Amino acid sequence: MSRGWKLGRTSRLLQPSDTDQESRDPGSEPHLGPLPVVDIAHLSVSLLLHRERTKSIREYTIRVLKGRRIQRDQFWPLREVSFAVHAGERLGIIGPNGAGKSTLLKVIAGIIPPSVGRVVVRGRIAPLIELGAGFDQYLTGRENVFLYGSLLGFPQKELERRFDRIVKFAEMEEFIDVPLMNYSVGMSARLGFAIATDVEPNLLLIDEVFSVGDAAFEMKCEARMEHFKEKGVTILLVSHNLDLIRTTCPRTLFLHHGRIIALGPTDDVIAEYRRFSATSAPD
Amino acid sequence: MPADTLAPQPGIYLADHRSSGPFLTLLRYRELLRQLVIRDIKLRYKRSVLGFAWTILNPLFAMAIFTMVFSRVFGGGRQYPLYVVTALLGWSLFSVGSTRGLESVVLNGPIIRKVFVPKAIFPVAAVSSQVVNFLFSLVPLALFMVAIGAEFSASLLWLPLPLLSLTCFALGISLLLGTFNVFFRDVRYLYEAGVLAWFYATPVFYPPEIIPDKFRFLLQVNPMYALLESLRAPIYLGTAPPAHLFIPGLAVSLFTLAMGWVVFHRYEARFIHYV
Repeated sequence: MSRGWKLGRTSRLLQPSDTDQESRDPGSEPHLGPLPVVDIAHLSVSLLLHRERTKSIREYTIRVLKGRRIQRDQFWPLREVSFAVHAGERLGIIGPNGAGKSTLLKVIAGIIPPSVGRVVVRGRIAPLIELGAGFDQYLTGRENVFLYGSLLGFPQKELERRFDRIVKFAEMEEFIDVPLMNYSVGMSARLGFAIATDVEPNLLLIDEVFSVGDAAFEMKCEARMEHFKEKGVTILLVSHNLDLIRTTCPRTLFLHHGRIIALGPTDDVIAEYRRFSATSAPD
Repeated sequence: MPADTLAPQPGIYLADHRSSGPFLTLLRYRELLRQLVIRDIKLRYKRSVLGFAWTILNPLFAMAIFTMVFSRVFGGGRQYPLYVVTALLGWSLFSVGSTRGLESVVLNGPIIRKVFVPKAIFPVAAVSSQVVNFLFSLVPLALFMVAIGAEFSASLLWLPLPLLSLTCFALGISLLLGTFNVFFRDVRYLYEAGVLAWFYATPVFYPPEIIPDKFRFLLQVNPMYALLESLRAPIYLGTAPPAHLFIPGLAVSLFTLAMGWVVFHRYEARFIHYV
């Protein structure tokens, strides 16, 4: 399946510890059985970076007629990534900027298709990757709840049923019939968070979205995360906040230049990450 | 237990509801389709005093202008405005629908980059909202027919068929050119210019008889002629759509739609890197 490029560095797979096993709650998702919620094998994603981006037919024809190849550099945001996450597990994903962390979450969310390899995701995903994608500035908060909710694939009836709770959680009672352009950045992020998390997902993808509100709202978010933890929701958390990773995730994945450098118990992987950052040139 | 039926297969990407083929996925997102159409209609007339009334006034104004300018030239009569307006409504469904449809994928790039969504939903929504608009404008059309004393015949019941045919054609063009537009943004500008020429080449505000014989072949190769005549017949002539125009028109529409659908989904996976 691989296409003739080589792994420059062998990934080191650390052994999962006992705490990792304990954190699984086998009773929470009985219908999923023993199959992992996320199962990724030999995943690679390639991008063609256009040095001179041709976006018009004229340019393109001129180039082709002149016989000049369109310069493209193949770039692999993810290379030969394999891992599995089981029901109820919480996996942290760390690495320097440009390591491929967000790309990995986007592949799991179905936004970016894999170029090579196999990705299987079982269950209902709540992607907290970019909150409020698809919010329309000219529509009111209420209208946006239904627009964004349907974008995430929720049925109308379900949204109607959850509407009051979403508004209450976002603390938007007063402003829900005001167009979104009058909201502050924090307000629309709060609304986005409230809609996206007001579901019973069995897979939560989180990409650095915790700094959306003031201290009070942050506490509510944490309470909601706690609730998901207790319910045995599988969580993939991308963050530069190593303390957050340590408190949330028993197991962690360390990515660098699109490759897995280490995967295992959080403390060990964080130690590896620190050592790695100290020895290699900073990004 | 739908999750367990997803047997892992090498090289294939599977994720809950996303693995069931483009048509079923689109069908599952019908709620989003409804929301997108509602958004489009709400936004169109927000902050305008007359608001929704513009849906009714617009075709009336266009019709009035064409009548003033051309009714003498083309032998007028009380029925000329009706002749123009029926085809004009159909034309605007097609031209506005296909123009918005083909640029909709690029315009919704920010959404495509952040959430999983069946991308065909954007052209489908753009064309659907023009269909809704068309249905709304049947109200002023009916009032106008009463005003000029036109006849309401049972053949009006044929109307859904040519409407469906026209919609399929607009959607087919949207999907096909919308795919190219993702990779080459000038498709949209070329099309806008092309659509203007196309309008004048189609008997919308003039009768087909005035076309000189040596250019008659243009009508043969112009599917919009067949589609608009089929739409015009039930309203203006009070007859069923002429079979020799309706059937080839429908065939071309369905073929365009099928081609657009196939091409769109063939390249859909690459859109993410270009929008």
